[in-house]
Amino acid sequence: MTSRMADNTEPSVRSTILDEIHRIAALHNKQLAPLTDALPLMESGLDSLCVAVLVASLDDALELDPFAEDENLAFPVTLGDFIQLYENAAA
Amino acid sequence: MRNIIVTGGSRGLGLGIAERLATDGFQVIAIARSQTEVFDAAAQRVKAAGRGALQFHAADLADIEAIPALVKAIRKEFGALYGLVNNAGLGTGGLLSGMNDAAMAQLLRLNIHSPIALTKYVTRTMMTQKGGRIVNISSIVASNGFNALSVYSATKAALVGFTKSLARELGPLEITVNAVAPGFVDTELTSGLGEAGYDKIVRRSALRRMAEVEDVGSAVAFLFSDGARNITGTVVTVDAGNTA
Ligand SMILES: NC(=O)c1ccc[n+]([C@@H]2O[C@H](COP(=O)([O-])OP(=O)(O)OC[C@H]3O[C@@H](n4cnc5c(N)ncnc54)[C@H](OP(=O)(O)O)[C@@H]3O)[C@@H](O)[C@H]2O)c1
Repeated sequence: MTSRMADNTEPSVRSTILDEIHRIAALHNKQLAPLTDALPLMESGLDSLCVAVLVASLDDALELDPFAEDENLAFPVTLGDFIQLYENAAA
Repeated sequence: MRNIIVTGGSRGLGLGIAERLATDGFQVIAIARSQTEVFDAAAQRVKAAGRGALQFHAADLADIEAIPALVKAIRKEFGALYGLVNNAGLGTGGLLSGMNDAAMAQLLRLNIHSPIALTKYVTRTMMTQKGGRIVNISSIVASNGFNALSVYSATKAALVGFTKSLARELGPLEITVNAVAPGFVDTELTSGLGEAGYDKIVRRSALRRMAEVEDVGSAVAFLFSDGARNITGTVVTVDAGNTA
């Protein structure tokens, strides 16, 4: 999977998420699995704390927190679902 | 300058903590509902000393739904947050059987729910920068009984439990979480104590005196110093030996 860039110069939601995942993994010395849409997040190499850091960082970077906005939201299983959730929130 | 939020920083212990941290070189953002003359005087002293800074941000922390926006506004105005001192609290006393239910709810809300919610949003901003310090102001009544303070004591014990588990959760992110448990300190919160109560506390204290606002400020300042980098999940008691 390659990251699709949006038409404008703003980085896309997808690329921001992927960049943050790489940054957080490096910061916390985590080995990442190849990032495909089908990859379950919990098998990505990030532990639950890193995922919490990811959500907090995306709140900063994208000014979006889909989890705070919807109390009934189930946490997405795969990376693709996770990205989709943010893309929908951004739309 | 590193930013630290001190709740209830307009007077009493919170102001003492805020002034001390600002004097140590931090930029302190004090939160309370209203600004006071004693706060303004302290801010002037900090300014004259020329190191840190003491700022005021008005907010009612009992309004829990407004906390996410409050943290956002503070970050926008002052930048990244390094520290949080959860100090604001009510000291509502009374025998449990006669306690007003609304007063009880307000006590639980301000002393437990608000600091936990505030910590949630402040730590989210700390998580992204890997590092920070949190200090929760508990009390000796969290572990030693005191007549007619059962609900208040429950709130202060809650903060100790919160402190210890959160220290474990945030340790990997280099965020320390500690509590300070003051004994009785002369402030507006304890003004109902009376002379007899005061004498009793002094007589029971190993050092035959009460701890003072400055002593609590020193303990918090230590927890924010480089020397405390390996201290997390603990409670520092400042009570002139009242519970020794
Ligand atoms: N004094 C003691 O002996 C003692 C002993 C052990 C522990 N403690 C703890 O130390 C902390 C401070 O006590 P203190 O004696 O300094 O109390 P205090 O003199 O009554 O000051 C309380 C502070 O909290 C603020 N506050 C109250 N309600 C608030 C609200 N809804 N929103 C925002 N801020 C609010 C007040 O400002 P506004 O009213 O303007 O909002 C004030 O700045 C408390 O957590 C207390 O439990 C005190």
